[in-house]
Amino acid sequence: MKNKLIISAILLSALALTGCDKKEDVLTLKVANWEEYIDLGDWGEDETIELDNGKVILGEQSMVDDFEDWYFENYGERIKVDYSTFGTNEDLYNQITLGDVYDLVCPSEYMITKLAREELLEKYDESFYDSEDELNYYSRGVSPYISSVFSNLKLRDASLDRYAAGYMWGTLGIVYNPELITEEEAAHWSLLTDKHHYKQITVKDSVRDAYFAGLAMNRSAELLSPAFVNDPDYHEKLTEALNSTDPEIVEQVQDILTRVKENVYSFETDAGKADMVTGKIAANQQWSGDAVYIMQQAAQEGLSLRYSAPEEGTNLWFDGWVMLKKGINGDERKKQAAQAFVNFISMPENAVRNMYYIGYTSVIAGGDDDTIYQYINYNYAGEDEAECVPHRIGYFFGDEADEEDRYTVYAEKDSDEFYQLDAQYPTKEVIDRSVVMACFEEEDNVRINRMWTNIRCFDLRRLFML
Amino acid sequence: MNKNEKTVSLMLIPYVLFLIVFVVLPLLVVIYYGFTDQQGNISFSNFINFFGNTRTVGTMVYSFGIAIITTVICLLLGYPVAYILAKGSYARKHAFLMIFVLPMWINFTLRITALKEILTMVEGNIALHPFFNTIVCMVYDFLPFMIMPLFNSIAKLDDSLTEAGRDLGATGAQVFFKIVIPLTIPGIVSAITMVFLPAMTNYVVLDMVYNSTYIMGSLIGSYFNAYDWNNGSVISAILLIMIAVLTVISNRIMRGKDDQNR
Repeated sequence: MKNKLIISAILLSALALTGCDKKEDVLTLKVANWEEYIDLGDWGEDETIELDNGKVILGEQSMVDDFEDWYFENYGERIKVDYSTFGTNEDLYNQITLGDVYDLVCPSEYMITKLAREELLEKYDESFYDSEDELNYYSRGVSPYISSVFSNLKLRDASLDRYAAGYMWGTLGIVYNPELITEEEAAHWSLLTDKHHYKQITVKDSVRDAYFAGLAMNRSAELLSPAFVNDPDYHEKLTEALNSTDPEIVEQVQDILTRVKENVYSFETDAGKADMVTGKIAANQQWSGDAVYIMQQAAQEGLSLRYSAPEEGTNLWFDGWVMLKKGINGDERKKQAAQAFVNFISMPENAVRNMYYIGYTSVIAGGDDDTIYQYINYNYAGEDEAECVPHRIGYFFGDEADEEDRYTVYAEKDSDEFYQLDAQYPTKEVIDRSVVMACFEEEDNVRINRMWTNIRCFDLRRLFML
Repeated sequence: MNKNEKTVSLMLIPYVLFLIVFVVLPLLVVIYYGFTDQQGNISFSNFINFFGNTRTVGTMVYSFGIAIITTVICLLLGYPVAYILAKGSYARKHAFLMIFVLPMWINFTLRITALKEILTMVEGNIALHPFFNTIVCMVYDFLPFMIMPLFNSIAKLDDSLTEAGRDLGATGAQVFFKIVIPLTIPGIVSAITMVFLPAMTNYVVLDMVYNSTYIMGSLIGSYFNAYDWNNGSVISAILLIMIAVLTVISNRIMRGKDDQNR
């Protein structure tokens, strides 16, 4: 009898539980982002950012939780964000193609192109671009410069901005210790094969980033020649040169990268950051976002590091939010929620929170809102005007000439802040020599991957040389 | 009896399921991808890709080299240790064994990181000696796996046999080489398989000590990263064949020993 009572009690409570579940029909948005790539909150009181325009910014709870509350307040609907992370673009691609379903993901530019080509992406609604709408923080705040880069990238049937909303962006360059490596040496990709720095430099263990540097080294003299630089079609020609897949060129790059491999400390995926801060290595190939992080860490240890985007050319990279057809599956509510998520994290205050938390550079310039510019000043502006030099970033805010100095930051000359600012927001000269990596055709990818395998595998001839 | 058999076969179900899901199916997938091309047609092109490229063959040779050197050093270091632990007259034999096996309980990336720091202290720039450092870390990592099977095998050795040898006038060396070693061959073989195969593919060690040359494991990983399941799988299949051959040979040796003992 007692047993029966217990069983029926369990059954009843189970019924009650399922009843509860049914009552609340909560929409779930599945979001996948890079690891450590959004503000997770939990800031200490002393981390509060108080800007000159009166904004007080503090990450109390995670951005994702804040979004759920914000969505309910503004759209009157409860939502649950199922947030997960991935490690590399390739991991994400494998997950997507092997059947994991996501609604909104944040891959890098070449992966966005690949996904768009394979028709896996859902376009943003026309209404997303309506900058009259108060809630369209992305369209109202995105940097005009980034916006123009996006609209200039043509995919099959539309430009890239129909498929993707930017998140973070930056350049590819070299972090170096100025006590061991001169500014002149770091200004060229040839540093990677410099015998004077034998086994002191790391290179990214990534085919595309290594290949990019190899291409720049291969045609260094030509790319730096006045005739090339002053060509009216300089940027198109540079883009073509640094995205070349010509078999002959691939072979030449293989020789260069073989020399790189013999000369460098190692190819690394993540260890370079710590090795740079602890002084094990003198320089490392790095993305600007991680470069800022490394420089800040090193400054805390009393070590001044610098970042250089080499003169031959640098890669302009960005990560962007894209909606996946399979996840959205024609559900308008889901699509609205996904777009709202992008808008929410594009709110200037939230862009600041993310930048503070992860150290990268947001694509958001703020539009009418000067929070982003204030935050840059808060971070980097020097106190003693006599010691300061101007750093012009008007192009980012859509006012290239910037005659009124509205978007010029004055940082103390030769200070750590000055170099960090330069890494986080490059000058127009660096931007002019930056190119976006193209998404290669399948056969070209095969050729370049084979080249990479050849470099990394053991060369039997070395056995006989011993 | 019948009922007993029924329960036995019922109890087998989870294990059979386990075998199918985690052993047979993955194996079939590997073989399928290894012997088809990107379009899904049956083909040996991946096989030819691997053996037709001197670089990938070079990496196989390199992996073999690392594995052989690691195994030999582990054996030379491990056998005396196992012997002393098993036959020495220490009161706390098992406590000593535990000290040797203790590192196995610590996460291996943590162990290698610690060793890396020590090597950096000794060598300065550890990138200058990638091969040497790889071997040091591999040996450090796999030594416990060598000692355990050897210890078990030597501990089981009947002391009366070595005593008889000595009574009949054999020197210490003769007893060791003619009696102890032959009788512990099964232990040696299983210890070698425990070390040799993982040493061929454990590329995390190479990554951690800044050895940027691929071994078999990293090569598979690089193909998978480029969504090239076919070429990655064929290398897994080649490794699998090697393991199979090695197991067959070691089983032969062990069976031979058993016959002799009888």
